Amino acid sequence: MTTNTIAPNRGSKFIPTALPLDDTRGIWAMWMVVATEAALFVCLFGAYFYLENNKDRWTYNTPPAEHWGWGMLGALIVSGFTIWLGDRAVIRQAYLRARALLACTLLLGLGFLIMEGFDYASHWATLTPYSNSYGSIFYTIESFDALHVIVGVLILGYVLAMPRYAPARRAPYRPYRVAAIYWYFVVIVWIAIFFLLYVMPNLRIYGF
Amino acid sequence: MSTTAVAQRLQSIWETPKSVWGWFATVDHKEIGIRYLVTAFLFMCVAGVEALIVRVQLARPDQALMSPEMYDQLFSMHGITMIFWYASPILSGFSNYLIPLMIGSRDMAYPRLNAFTYWSFLFSGILVYVAPFMGQAPHAGWFSYVPYTLYSYSPSRGMDFYAMALILFTISITAGGINFITTILKMRAPGMSINKMPLMCYSTMTMSFVGLFGMPALTAACIFLELDRRWGTHFFSPAAGGNPILWQQLFWFFGHPWVYIVFLPATAIVSMIIPVFSRRPIVGYSYVAVSTMLTGAVGFSVWMHHMFTDGMSDMTMSFFSAGSMMISIFTIVQIICWVVTMWKGRVVMTTAMYYALGTIAALVVGGLNGVVTGIIPLDWQAHNTYFIVGHIHYVLIGSNMFPVFAGLYYWYPKMTGRKLSETLGKWSFWIMFIGFNVGFFPMQIVGLLGMPRRIYTYPAGLGWSASNMIETVGAFALGIGILLSIINFVYSRRFGQIAGKNPWNADTLEWDLDSPPEPYSMVHLPTVITRHPLWDNHDESADPNDERILDNGRLTYITTWLDAKVVSIAKMPEETIAPMLLALTMALCLLALCFQLVYWACGGFGATLLVAFYWLWPREKGEEAL
Repeated sequence: MTTNTIAPNRGSKFIPTALPLDDTRGIWAMWMVVATEAALFVCLFGAYFYLENNKDRWTYNTPPAEHWGWGMLGALIVSGFTIWLGDRAVIRQAYLRARALLACTLLLGLGFLIMEGFDYASHWATLTPYSNSYGSIFYTIESFDALHVIVGVLILGYVLAMPRYAPARRAPYRPYRVAAIYWYFVVIVWIAIFFLLYVMPNLRIYGF
Repeated sequence: MSTTAVAQRLQSIWETPKSVWGWFATVDHKEIGIRYLVTAFLFMCVAGVEALIVRVQLARPDQALMSPEMYDQLFSMHGITMIFWYASPILSGFSNYLIPLMIGSRDMAYPRLNAFTYWSFLFSGILVYVAPFMGQAPHAGWFSYVPYTLYSYSPSRGMDFYAMALILFTISITAGGINFITTILKMRAPGMSINKMPLMCYSTMTMSFVGLFGMPALTAACIFLELDRRWGTHFFSPAAGGNPILWQQLFWFFGHPWVYIVFLPATAIVSMIIPVFSRRPIVGYSYVAVSTMLTGAVGFSVWMHHMFTDGMSDMTMSFFSAGSMMISIFTIVQIICWVVTMWKGRVVMTTAMYYALGTIAALVVGGLNGVVTGIIPLDWQAHNTYFIVGHIHYVLIGSNMFPVFAGLYYWYPKMTGRKLSETLGKWSFWIMFIGFNVGFFPMQIVGLLGMPRRIYTYPAGLGWSASNMIETVGAFALGIGILLSIINFVYSRRFGQIAGKNPWNADTLEWDLDSPPEPYSMVHLPTVITRHPLWDNHDESADPNDERILDNGRLTYITTWLDAKVVSIAKMPEETIAPMLLALTMALCLLALCFQLVYWACGGFGATLLVAFYWLWPREKGEEAL
């Protein structure tokens, strides 16, 4: 932390002698963005279950096929680990390694989007957003997720292109960590979507 | 270094260039706060004129001053503008201007984001006001129930503008909330632990959290509405498995917390003013703080009281009825604390205090008829009548407009350096207060007599005619009262009495600064040891060795969120035009979506991303200054 310390103050009862430069505000902001985005997905899930309410056999006859979903889940979970390792590498100042892991995460994210394209295509034969309310909410949630992954990939690409990750005296102070927090959110959202929209309807057909 | 030399140096560091570019690029929270206040006040004036036109139409039975469609658009624009573009932004204006000064910081935590929230608020307001000029304004009231707002019943573009403008507006409110939370929790002066911060911080923080978790429901609802209207989905059409009540659920899950967003910071203004003019600390500081936060939290569990007539199980009704009554307890705690503060103190009757007392009077009436509306049998009777219109106006004018005027009379000297005329202010208050009661009390009576809300006109002989005429007279009196205050604001800007640093002998840190404050706010960053910094014996700015000047760039302290111990120094950004450009590109993207111009919308989205990348790219400038 030597490079980004400011010491114009000599210290007093209230103030320590040398103070580091604040690099936490960006992280706080990203946590709050994640909180509000999570609330948005909770509303979307709420709408999904509200529309399902009082309707016999809404998705039970034809639950969505899961095979692409498992691949997407695998890609995102691995990408969550790679960005986590990358973030640790930044802390240990292994910047080249961090960049390589970031590139891996980005590629896994792109892989997810390609698989999501195939997933869309596989559903489209039997269900469209115009078919019924189930199709509307299903594709809306999927597309919101895709949009978040696209924005996440853009953020990752942007951080990958950034000149340096070393502690700096200029904003943004910790872009890698901020991008990583957003990416963890993207991973967790897909886990939730996959469980609620894919796994649960498929499990429930055994209940009837 | 002499104090003057330091002040000059700080001035050169913090001053926004006085140029056109500087005007668009400023990130100074004081400048942005005043812009918020002025813009929201102008929105209020526009919405007020719309209300007066509506009142003229309703003054007598069987009138036809305008077409029914025009009438629908007018009352809808009145509601939408007042609820969204006046009631919350004007409080954001106060918080933006005051909170950094109150907590002894030189700016908000994210100054550029702060500029962005203002511009996106402004552009979203402009976006919704494009529609009336096309003759196609939103026409379904401020909560726009489906199916009336779907394409088959509302083929004009008004509802598209409503949905798109509100999406931009939610982004603005959310970004503002993030900014307030970080500012309040991380930027308080050394020593201002969380139990010593002004009550305004508690309410602003609570409303910010409520915004974070409440606004997404509105975003989701607006997206569903637009998809159903123009893109062929079936969220709200029962024929294809949709459910129109879904709109109500989502809208009120946002809508009721929103009531507290426009209510809590306003009550905090009263909590700031009453102790100062009672000449004693507020009674029950902790109770006010805790009840503020509980109001925000419990506010999420009352939304279905707007929907009792939809039909729901007894259990659900009981739960939401109980929640609605419980929340009134927290408001009562605040009111009791205010009253006891005055009782135990020595009251100084300034105009600000008149407005604060007006708040209590109106809020008690509005709150009581709110509680009775929470009783389900009465709600079934009163629902969709003028009783509800009377209730909402008592609550919103009582808990928002009167506190806002109290705040304007109280802080105007700090913002401009001159006091407002007290005589004109008291005239304005009494005319407003009488006009307000004359205008809105009869609404509750005609409501109980059965007059439905939102009707275009009514036949004679139903016993409503006299009350409606009285309401119109009262509404115009309220307008005249507001006009007197506007005259006061303009007149006192030039000719008012010079205020000095602390004209009210108040206790919070902003009154230790020059009026109006310098761009850098304070030469020595203050330290705090009590809840009432200017009423104790501790000299906040005492700094004999010049240790707390931070004049090596745009710097201010970061402290721990609980104890406010200094942990680091925050470097603040320079002026930049990126926030305005970002808000502009977003607004253009949403404008394109109003007309389903997909390629233009994609272009707008791409431009938004490019501006965001430009905003975030690290720059060398200013680094060597440290």
